[in-house]
Amino acid sequence: MIRVWATLAALLVAAILLGLAAGHDWAGPAEIVRALSGDPSLDSRLIADWRLPRVLAAAGVGALLGLGGCLFQGLFRNPLAEPYLLGSAGGAAIGATVALLVPLGVPQHWLLPVLAFLGAWGATLLVLGVSRVAGAVDAAGLLLAGVAIAAVLGALRSFLMLALSDETVSLQVVLSWTLGGIQTPGWSGLALLAALTLACFLLAQRTARGLDLLGLGEAMAHGFGLDVKRFVALAVLVGAAVVAVAVSFGGLVAFVGLAAPHIARWLVGPRHGPLIPASGLVGAIVVVLADAIARSALPPAEVPLGLITAVAGGPFFLILLARRLRS
Amino acid sequence: MRLIAAAALTIALAAPAAGEAVTVADALGRQVTLQRPPQRLVTIFASNTELVASVGLADRIVGIESFTRFPPEVVGRPQVGGRLGFSVDRVVRQRPDLVIVTPARQAVHQLVDPMERLGIPILVVTHRSVDEVFANIRLVAKAAGVEARGEAVTHALQSRLDAVARRLAGRGRPRVIMITGRVATGLMLIARPGSYTADAMVAAGARLAFDQPQMLPQVSPEAILRSDPDIVLFAGSEADRRELFARPGWQHLRALRENRVLTVSRAEFLIPGPRVVDGIEKLAAVLHPDAPR
Repeated sequence: MIRVWATLAALLVAAILLGLAAGHDWAGPAEIVRALSGDPSLDSRLIADWRLPRVLAAAGVGALLGLGGCLFQGLFRNPLAEPYLLGSAGGAAIGATVALLVPLGVPQHWLLPVLAFLGAWGATLLVLGVSRVAGAVDAAGLLLAGVAIAAVLGALRSFLMLALSDETVSLQVVLSWTLGGIQTPGWSGLALLAALTLACFLLAQRTARGLDLLGLGEAMAHGFGLDVKRFVALAVLVGAAVVAVAVSFGGLVAFVGLAAPHIARWLVGPRHGPLIPASGLVGAIVVVLADAIARSALPPAEVPLGLITAVAGGPFFLILLARRLRS
Repeated sequence: MRLIAAAALTIALAAPAAGEAVTVADALGRQVTLQRPPQRLVTIFASNTELVASVGLADRIVGIESFTRFPPEVVGRPQVGGRLGFSVDRVVRQRPDLVIVTPARQAVHQLVDPMERLGIPILVVTHRSVDEVFANIRLVAKAAGVEARGEAVTHALQSRLDAVARRLAGRGRPRVIMITGRVATGLMLIARPGSYTADAMVAAGARLAFDQPQMLPQVSPEAILRSDPDIVLFAGSEADRRELFARPGWQHLRALRENRVLTVSRAEFLIPGPRVVDGIEKLAAVLHPDAPR
């Protein structure tokens, strides 16, 4: 077990170093060392002041997506569950569309994360509320409410995009955000992301026992003294917060939240105690690597991150799945 | 007393050196300060390249975007971005001392923040009218330390526009639509009021057939038919125009029956640079063939 954790940690460090090196102009180890030791040249500052916060933000976003996926898969006892399931993607995208296209006279670099967060969180609350009004807060009800609200929000976002864009306000900005755009936060923003990621991890960890019990079936969980309804609602709120923080710093990054918990499960087994941190680590590694590819693959352009995670992550995940099923 | 005098003298002597720093306000209201006239410019988008070239500084351009085709001498310069976005790495590699950019595609979102953090001056310009295009020429010239040249160039352009206006004074204006693009659904993109393209059409003696501010830039071919314009302009190639208007349905368009569907140059009407004045002069001659020359 210790070997698994050590390997994951080493892989994350390696991924971060690779991320620092990656770009349209690759940096060598010597350049990275020089940049990190405070060299004032422009190339060094590009690495230290621009790439480093971005790579660390990618790690934070990836960790949150891994956590969120793990929570929702445990909660719905469904391996296809993913963090954007309960309307958070649609809600966040509307918030981002407004922030990117409506001139509100507020600095966009903080309006964007705030509105994306509120959109994601608000949409999940809406789903929770709707399914509660409609009857029971159970998995099927939540999922259906999520699908319906996602459809409404998707249409609304498309309308906003068409109505608010013109020659100077480009649709590409919104589109690339919805395909996953890691923001490059300043140092204070990065500290905030780190604190929120840690808080989300601690909250998620507290649901581990409940998720394990829920995995035995609702009746069994109830027998073990779990107030299932209350726990599901609380866990959804935690999951929504995790995902809302992720989208506010990273846009909509496809597939990571689905794949990372599976990879983690193969490494550490199904118990949520170890599974939750492992999912976070795997998610962080995957997003940092994907972001490195996104920033370096097609110069002079930057490929949206969500395309990389889906295009490169999909086949990689299928290979792992095939090997797993064969053994 | 002598000390104060000496100090005053020092300040007076220092003043010219300090005065070399130029601060300009850009379209986003940002204050951009240049310590000395920039020698290495990265111009994002064809329009900004043309603005810089118009004040005679094309040789200072060290980076362009991949759709820049004019003027010919800049075409081979290093590219820092294209359809899919813009590269911070590639801009930095050129060691620019000024980046000029327009809020289109993702340019402003991808470049302003990193350039500010790295301390590379970046100027954002917009173009909602022909006047604003002229103001951009003056702005770029001022930022580049050739303010007088900017004044001279815009003065010359303005007097050409004034001449067009004098020729058209008191004449009736045909109702015109300009089709600037097509989307896959069959809808047309048209020049909207509030854009410099529409402003240029008006300067050339047109009246906009769609003169209401619209929410969506696309209109259906049906709406174009219903608005019954006197003249339809197609920004693009002759072959594309023929292909589009050969499609069924357009035969009901009066302008087509009267042979008044015309092609205009995309470079002159869709790149907000000094060549818009060429476009206005040519279009004015087409719209008002019997006006005095």
